[in-house]
Amino acid sequence: MSIAARRKTVQGIQLCADPAREACFRVAQSDSEMQVFEDSMSEAARRERLHRHMNNEMGALEIAAQCLVDFPDAPWDLRMQLARQASDESRHVAGLYRRLRQLGGRKGEFPIGNFEWAVTNMCDTLAARLAIQNRTFEAGQMDLLGALRKIWRSVGDETTVEVLEHILADEINHVRFANRWIRTMVQEDRRLLLKVASAVRFLAETNTALSAPSNGAPSDAAKKHTDLGINIEDRRHADFNEEEINEILRQAGMSTFVAAEGRG
Amino acid sequence: MGLILREKAEYLGTFRWLEVFLMETLARWVPTTPEMEVKVLMGRHIWDAAQHADALGKRTFELRAPLHYTLSPLTPYFELMKELAAVEDTPGRIQVIYDVLLPALTARYQEYLDGSDSLLDEPSYRVIHGILGDYARMRQENDALRKELKDMLVFDASRAEEWRRKEAEIGEIVPRGSGATLAVGAHA
Repeated sequence: MSIAARRKTVQGIQLCADPAREACFRVAQSDSEMQVFEDSMSEAARRERLHRHMNNEMGALEIAAQCLVDFPDAPWDLRMQLARQASDESRHVAGLYRRLRQLGGRKGEFPIGNFEWAVTNMCDTLAARLAIQNRTFEAGQMDLLGALRKIWRSVGDETTVEVLEHILADEINHVRFANRWIRTMVQEDRRLLLKVASAVRFLAETNTALSAPSNGAPSDAAKKHTDLGINIEDRRHADFNEEEINEILRQAGMSTFVAAEGRG
Repeated sequence: MGLILREKAEYLGTFRWLEVFLMETLARWVPTTPEMEVKVLMGRHIWDAAQHADALGKRTFELRAPLHYTLSPLTPYFELMKELAAVEDTPGRIQVIYDVLLPALTARYQEYLDGSDSLLDEPSYRVIHGILGDYARMRQENDALRKELKDMLVFDASRAEEWRRKEAEIGEIVPRGSGATLAVGAHA
């Protein structure tokens, strides 16, 4: 059985079982099991940020690789892009691990989560996986990285800023090829739109169930993301059109930016 | 060997199958191999294999075969590849790729070069020389990783030796058509 076909149940939701990890890692199943710090840029918090990011990049590598395994009949040019993405994500893991060690950290120092892998591999079409992993998670990471560069720079850590700069440049390419291929695939088969929509809904429901507080307010992760802002410039580089960017801004409660962008 | 044009396309189509096999095997092993550094090595080499397959597939088109003409190898080799792809432990997987497949494919590519003409078939030579250069780098990167993980991974040299012996025992791996008709792979 393919690893992507294995299942686990978390808080009543069926998800793809975790990929292989070394015994040193403690795998969390929800946000509440991750380590958080009062001072978000203390020395330990900085290591935790790098450690968490490193594992997320490992997940991105595994998702791209699994797409190559599960969709052998995908167009060759798209498979080439996925292979390139796997290589890029590998470099990101290595770069973050190198920086983590330079700051005195180690593998397994903090809990990790495999949420992206668990959700994305529940999709049975390549278009839906690209919509979830590349167009949603990685595009979200573009927003985060855009803001995180400033945060690391504010504490004088230019070495980490440089790592993040390179990762961001690569992620733009991953989002861009996904946007282009999703459009192409949907034009060829309109039924894929339903698959993509269904996958996006599944992600939203799972996200709400596993990370939101019980009062229905936005989850901490979603709130932090919104607080950090939308990386409009890089979303344009990644082939999001103006209508899509405006919709993302509206969803993030930034309608005033939509108006301002419109005026600009 | 003295290959005719159709046979050259069949060789390169078979090499392309093997590079796609390498890409897919590495991709299958990335999520199922626990060690992070090994995932990283394999993840980077997925892209190498993909580029090799791409270059070979473009060259087959120049030799009057379809673009990305891909030919599964003859049954004994195909079965051996299936056996190697089924290895589950990390040291075994590393040995399969870096101690068995890359050296074996290096020899197979060299055999092609020996049977072709470096002037008339220069584009194929350039593609293959590029691949062999990448293989040398990939094996160096593997050597560096093994040094880094020497306390974590234990290798059984006799197992790799056995796989190498099985591989070397298989002579012909390329299906042959006849006349102007290209061979069709027997395996999906």
